[in-house]
Amino acid sequence: MESGTDPGIDLATITDRMAVKKAVQCGNVEDAIEKVNDLNPEILDTNPQLFFHLQQQRFIELIRNGKVEEALEFAQEELAPRGEENQSFLEELERTVALLAFEDVSNCPVGGLLDISQRLKTASEVNAAILTSQSREKDPKLPNLLKMLLWAQNQLDERAAYPRIKDLSTAMLEDPAI
Amino acid sequence: MPTANTIFPIHGPVDLLTRLDSPDPETKLKALREIKNQIIGNRTKKLSFLKLGAVPAVASILSSYATQSDSQLVDADVSTSSIIVQSAAVLGSFACGFDAGVRAVLDAGAFPHLIRLLSNLDEKVVDASARSLRMIYQSRLAPKYEFVQEKNMEFLISLINSECENVTGLGASIITHSCQTSTEQRALCDAGILKKLISLLEGSLSQKNATLESLAAVFKKNPEVISKFVGLENERAVESSLSQRDSSLESPGTVIKNNTESVFKFVGPESGSALSSIIELTKDRYARTRLLACMCLVVIRNASPNYLQDMGIKAKLVYLLLELLDDPGQVGDEASFVFSSLVAGKKDLQQLAFENNAINKFCNQLQKSQLHPKRLQGVLLALADLCSKLESCRLTFLSLKVLNQVIDALTHDCADVRTSACICLRSVTRSIKNLCAGYFMNEMLVIPVIRLLDDPSVSVQVAALGVISNIVVDFTTRKSTFIQCGGVKQLVQLTKSMHSTVRFNALWALKNMMFLADDRCKEGIFLELTGSLLASLISDPEPCVQEQALALVRNLVDGCIKSIEYVFAEDGTLLDAVGRQLHNVSDEVGIQGMYLLGNVASGNELHKEAVLQQLLAQADNGAQSFVIKFLQSSDSRLRTAAVWVIVNLTFPSCPGAFGRLVQLKNAGIISQIRNMVNDSCLDVKLRVRTVITQSMTFGDGLT
Repeated sequence: MESGTDPGIDLATITDRMAVKKAVQCGNVEDAIEKVNDLNPEILDTNPQLFFHLQQQRFIELIRNGKVEEALEFAQEELAPRGEENQSFLEELERTVALLAFEDVSNCPVGGLLDISQRLKTASEVNAAILTSQSREKDPKLPNLLKMLLWAQNQLDERAAYPRIKDLSTAMLEDPAI
Repeated sequence: MPTANTIFPIHGPVDLLTRLDSPDPETKLKALREIKNQIIGNRTKKLSFLKLGAVPAVASILSSYATQSDSQLVDADVSTSSIIVQSAAVLGSFACGFDAGVRAVLDAGAFPHLIRLLSNLDEKVVDASARSLRMIYQSRLAPKYEFVQEKNMEFLISLINSECENVTGLGASIITHSCQTSTEQRALCDAGILKKLISLLEGSLSQKNATLESLAAVFKKNPEVISKFVGLENERAVESSLSQRDSSLESPGTVIKNNTESVFKFVGPESGSALSSIIELTKDRYARTRLLACMCLVVIRNASPNYLQDMGIKAKLVYLLLELLDDPGQVGDEASFVFSSLVAGKKDLQQLAFENNAINKFCNQLQKSQLHPKRLQGVLLALADLCSKLESCRLTFLSLKVLNQVIDALTHDCADVRTSACICLRSVTRSIKNLCAGYFMNEMLVIPVIRLLDDPSVSVQVAALGVISNIVVDFTTRKSTFIQCGGVKQLVQLTKSMHSTVRFNALWALKNMMFLADDRCKEGIFLELTGSLLASLISDPEPCVQEQALALVRNLVDGCIKSIEYVFAEDGTLLDAVGRQLHNVSDEVGIQGMYLLGNVASGNELHKEAVLQQLLAQADNGAQSFVIKFLQSSDSRLRTAAVWVIVNLTFPSCPGAFGRLVQLKNAGIISQIRNMVNDSCLDVKLRVRTVITQSMTFGDGLT
């Protein structure tokens, strides 16, 4: 907007997508599901693995909030059918449902599922699916470019003197000290 | 922020359906959205809502609001549009990958409304309707689209030309679904659809994929359409590169006019010809696109000998498909099938694949546990194709020790998997080296295969028969294992099947068993079959069945003289049946019949006389002997077989030979043979000369 260049894609789709991602990151999975379905009803209908992971996340959130009985019912109503529909989910399903077996969930063998990292993982999975449906790259280009720049500079540092970028925000090439 | 963490729907399914009936649009809309959010991705819920009659309910909402929308002016009511969008989305989700849902949506009469909504002014409505129709058209249950009707073609073209991605996708899906005959392919081509489809290859992901599938449908087995396509350029791709060439194009222009072959050569793969667009897509970053591009190229390759025949493209396709096999999802499942269509029946490609470690790759797949049935089926069929002609492939397969996994697949729940396991075994058991070693004649393999002869599915039975036909050609004559496992009883039972393919294959297996079998084995089989059953099979309505039956008897009487007695069992019913049948048969059947008679005629005097009687018996309409017809056949194998019989009948050292010679002469058979002295076929010529030489030993009174 500042440079006046045409962004090339509809900015509204970015905000929609961001809203979905944020909902998952905050643990509002049901809300996220509704938003994805409004955006494109095909995504969850054609991505059984993603759908399973979202249901899995809903279950995890129930456990996190101590709603054990509801979690149990949810597992029966919504998780078990995923395993029936698709045998390859069974292993992960069993691990997830194991959360019900422990008193102290955060310290049990599958306690990692309660980490925020699990939310982030699910969030980025749904993000990627939305990007794919819009025919965009799954991974945003900018972070990868920056990673590559930093790596390349690290490699060169060991071998030569060259004009390098010290400050990423200005991206000014600074001449090497003589 | 309040968490919307209610696990259960605020309203149960029945309650939701009641709310659909509410007069209040807001309530309706909410109920629709909630149903939509419950069913998307959830096959189990789709099924339960289906049973409660959700589809007709939603369909009727769609139809009444659609009608309402028609009669409204430009400023359509927001809630009308929203209701239409949500109900279309619900119906689309029911139809997504779920045949029962498609059936319900079609039965509820929603289809015509959805089509009409494609012309709605609200683009959200158009989008939602197009998407739902696309889901329907992915199923074979969708109604067939009649391309040849002009109005329909116009409508289709308008879809393909639309700005909306879902609408163009719908157009492409319709083509993929309904384009089957060459007439339809030509009609689409003539309507100029190819050009538009080519440009869609540069579009979004879903457009590319949908277009590739539709192109494959238009190209399938149609070299004419393919050559038209290849001649086209992809304008969007060549815009820049060709602008420099403009001036130099004048004179070559006349040369390439109307000559698609040279257009292709001139334009070449690097300058944006339509074909190169597809080839480019084999490098796409999305696996599904790569797969569909390969599939399209294979279709082109198989239909037209003019394109994609060089070594480079062959190697590329093999490599790409083997790589796609690694994809864990549906793409990997389908890659095997495309691979099969590439190599099936083509030795050169099988060899190329073999050199690229294809056998290892597919066998590795078999090692994985809990394979999706579709993937397992694809892998087994691919291995079947690879091992169909090349011994090197079979030996490699056997050395990788995955035979047990294939045998396990024989008892899989899915009939298609059982069938493909049998087909795989049929290819592998063609290995003569291992047949000779008796490698396959062991209970672990034989018993499950025999069990499949009882399978509820006919195609499984037929496939199992294919395996048996091979393994009973057991040169170590250890057929006793098979007999002990009750195999013969089963096979004989199947010769009475009402399906001609089953009878045919069962006889084939028995014929192979009879080949070089010892006396005890022959006796066992014959007792089970009985002469009368064989006689009726010889006069089966299907020529292919007649042929196998005769071939079986031919093998039966081959060998020692004792075996010949079989055709005389039960008052000679068998021999009579053979003779009667031969009055009216195809060449293939005639060949077997004559070799059969030739074998019988190699026996003692009684045998020879009996054969002679059969040859001289008149047909019902008093026509000449069938032998003369066979001797005059254009098929040299039949002529050869027929002359053999006469050779055996007139063998000089036999007491009755002269008498038989006279009778043959009276029937005009000898003079027919004399006319064949310079037959074009060497085998025939030699036998004819033998007959003449033999007849001359009786003095030259016979001219």
